[in-house]
Amino acid sequence: MPQPTQSAQSAQPKQPAQPMDTYDKKILDIIQTAFPLAPRPYAEVGAQVGLAEDEVLERVRALRASGVIRRIGANFQSKKLGFRSTLCAAKVPEDRLESFIAEVNRHPNVTHNYLRENAYNVWFTFIGPSWDMVCATLAEITAKTGIEILNLPAEKLFKIRVDFRMHDGDGPDATDADGGEDGD
Amino acid sequence: MKTFTDTELRILKLVQGDLPDSLTPFADIARQAGTDEATVLGLLERMKADGSIRRFGVSLKHQKAGYGVNAMVAWRIAPDERLLAVAPIMSESPNVSHCYWRREQADWPYNLYTMVHAKSREECLDVIRRLSEATGESDYAILNSIKELKKISMTYF
Repeated sequence: MPQPTQSAQSAQPKQPAQPMDTYDKKILDIIQTAFPLAPRPYAEVGAQVGLAEDEVLERVRALRASGVIRRIGANFQSKKLGFRSTLCAAKVPEDRLESFIAEVNRHPNVTHNYLRENAYNVWFTFIGPSWDMVCATLAEITAKTGIEILNLPAEKLFKIRVDFRMHDGDGPDATDADGGEDGD
Repeated sequence: MKTFTDTELRILKLVQGDLPDSLTPFADIARQAGTDEATVLGLLERMKADGSIRRFGVSLKHQKAGYGVNAMVAWRIAPDERLLAVAPIMSESPNVSHCYWRREQADWPYNLYTMVHAKSREECLDVIRRLSEATGESDYAILNSIKELKKISMTYF
């Protein structure tokens, strides 16, 4: 029996990024910060913006397909869960960058890692279930790579922006809503 | 780390991923976790109320939303009282997404960190100049990102 050459799923192209309209922006405004924790969440969003439930879900699907929406889910506060986080920096010589980055990125506790323009050129965040675990793992990375790591836990958090308005179109929305720097 | 029941852990493992694409996502999660919808919604409400869920909702893909440029700016501010006065001023800027105090280290004298976002490199530099002017602080390092080496959501459960 001939296999269908294209299933409905695979035939669907990655949708071209269409400009978001006012409804899309209103929907995003709501579901970024206040996704309804209710049996029919899209019906509740629809009631707020003036659209039918299935039309809201259709628009959310399209925003997912075009890549505007990365995911929908819970963003945890690591500290409240008992986790500890820190920002780390290392001065890594060019010829050891690749192996150092591979060793650092191997750890699921490393959520963000950037190459930056500075003598301290590798900057990453580390989250662990206890402070002891965080320090022990950083020491292990140093032991393995021979590269010292600056451990810069937050003394105090003054601002973490989690409410990115899409609708007014003017504020930067661009930071990471999962916790950006180190998430607490 | 806090302790959770097995059912709670199954629910949390699911909601740390991506919500099912359906009109009844929480009923779907309940089914997958072997529990009922009210238990799922109750857990999420409780954890939102106590702050352990900081936010439940959509995460956007940044570049696609149009503000691609960012720089981490590390400021050297002394004494601590001065830092405590300056940080709220910097935090007021809508272009600053994060502002943290982190203690200086042996060969790294900076102690206040701001994440600055803008539409272009020029605008980013302009924002930093204005932060410096608004606070009178001029000892800082701009840590432009050259390359994103890793970016994931933390897997807690």
